[in-house]
Amino acid sequence: MKAIWKLPNGEEITAEVSDGTNMMQAAVDNNVPGVVGECGGCLSCATCHVYVDPAWVEKTGVADDFEDAMLDVAEAERTDQSRLSCQIEASGELDGLVLIVPQP
Amino acid sequence: MTVWTPKDDGFADLTSHDTFSEGVPHNTFSRMRREDPVCWTDWDQGKGFWSITRHQDITEMNRTFDVFSSAQGIRMEDQTYEEYLARRTFQETDPPEHMKTRIKVAKAFSKPVVAGFEQDLRDLSNQILDEALSETDFDATKAIARQLPMLMLGRILGTPEEDLPWLVEKGDALIANTDPDFTDHVLDKMTTDEFRMMPFNSPAGAELFQYAKELMAHKNATGDTNGVLHLILQPDKDGNTISEEEFRNFFCLLVAAGNDTTRYSIAAGIQAMCHQPELLTQMQTGGDALWELAPDEIIRWATPALYFRRTLTRDFEAHGKTMREGDKVLFWWSSANRDDEVFDNPFRVDLMRSPNKHMSFGQSGPHVCLGMWLARLEVRVLFQELSKRLKSIEANGEQKFLRSNFVGGIKELPVRVKLN
Repeated sequence: MKAIWKLPNGEEITAEVSDGTNMMQAAVDNNVPGVVGECGGCLSCATCHVYVDPAWVEKTGVADDFEDAMLDVAEAERTDQSRLSCQIEASGELDGLVLIVPQP
Repeated sequence: MTVWTPKDDGFADLTSHDTFSEGVPHNTFSRMRREDPVCWTDWDQGKGFWSITRHQDITEMNRTFDVFSSAQGIRMEDQTYEEYLARRTFQETDPPEHMKTRIKVAKAFSKPVVAGFEQDLRDLSNQILDEALSETDFDATKAIARQLPMLMLGRILGTPEEDLPWLVEKGDALIANTDPDFTDHVLDKMTTDEFRMMPFNSPAGAELFQYAKELMAHKNATGDTNGVLHLILQPDKDGNTISEEEFRNFFCLLVAAGNDTTRYSIAAGIQAMCHQPELLTQMQTGGDALWELAPDEIIRWATPALYFRRTLTRDFEAHGKTMREGDKVLFWWSSANRDDEVFDNPFRVDLMRSPNKHMSFGQSGPHVCLGMWLARLEVRVLFQELSKRLKSIEANGEQKFLRSNFVGGIKELPVRVKLN
């Protein structure tokens, strides 16, 4: 699938992501600044916080209870589009997914 | 000037705390990374163990928490199940149980909450430096590195300042339980098992339990909201509160783990300034770009937590070796942080190192350090304030290392300074 990260400076990074890869790992693999993933995708740090583009919110689903609690720990302001990107798994259904990287 | 270099012959005994009294045996770790990255060690004090020494291997295994479990102990020493239950903190649990505790305390240590301590830390740093730098020759661990995390701990716990030396002494007795300078009950020389149900197998654990219990009762009774502990005592959105046992174990973890790690990071940073005089000039001229990166490099250099142990829940193969279910596996962060596959010139401090994928906080796994934002902030502020004042700093005598294969630290760091 194709994924697009929109950076706070207006730039965009586009990459092909294999099905099954989580979107934190995909961001790290493609050097997307602002997505760190210190806990390796184990839901322990909130350093992979992104805003899902409103058009994609329905398809990416909602945060479970643990993710919901950890979103409170994120550095940038939390909104209805907030997700920890390690909890979003690439799949054909998400082809073209747009993720917005928060302002640091 | 005294520059420290590893002294081991490449075949150091990793089970011996005495080995580490000479500093981390980096020649041994370099050889293991090169020749034997999944290395078995027999041990006469307990079951043998595997050592994982390469950055990439640790990264992969650390995130595979269902196979590499924390829930049977995280130190080399064996524990009975009974001892494990009595002594464990959430460090010694796996997801999802680990998450249940972690989400209760994560907010209090989040980057935005911790950022609120910056001015307080700056004031404390200057108070410490006013005192320490009134001399030209002093022990930098004692006069500087030990002071800041201790005073900060008081702010976090919201405890009276006069209690802090006692708390830190007990914390040291717990975590440095193999060094006779810090405890009368040296773990590998004890002749009694009377403390085996207490945290770190130490009677100091019982004293800290009692202190925590009284503190919690006092805070509840008076509605005391100093520090961050009251955040931890708040009910979550489903109305669940932290149990007394969870609270006291967490308290011990804060006092022990949150204290000496930052101390030894600061000490290692000062050591680096002595060995690489150019660092002082860089700190004085580097600006925000440098301070964004420097704390992580200082913390990489320090690597205060030398290893954490995991226990295999099933057989696992790596580099032609088969590790068996039930085997103990040690992730040597201290080795990963000197892996030249990941770091150029790993034995030099480069304050502008970027990316800096160090593993001092146990990155890449569920147990990544809860206090990492606080540690980075403390290190940044302390070195900002220190470097402003110094014209030069140099080593002034023999450095002494903690007698522990679990916590790496410079316990005596004699320096000589000239001020601006």
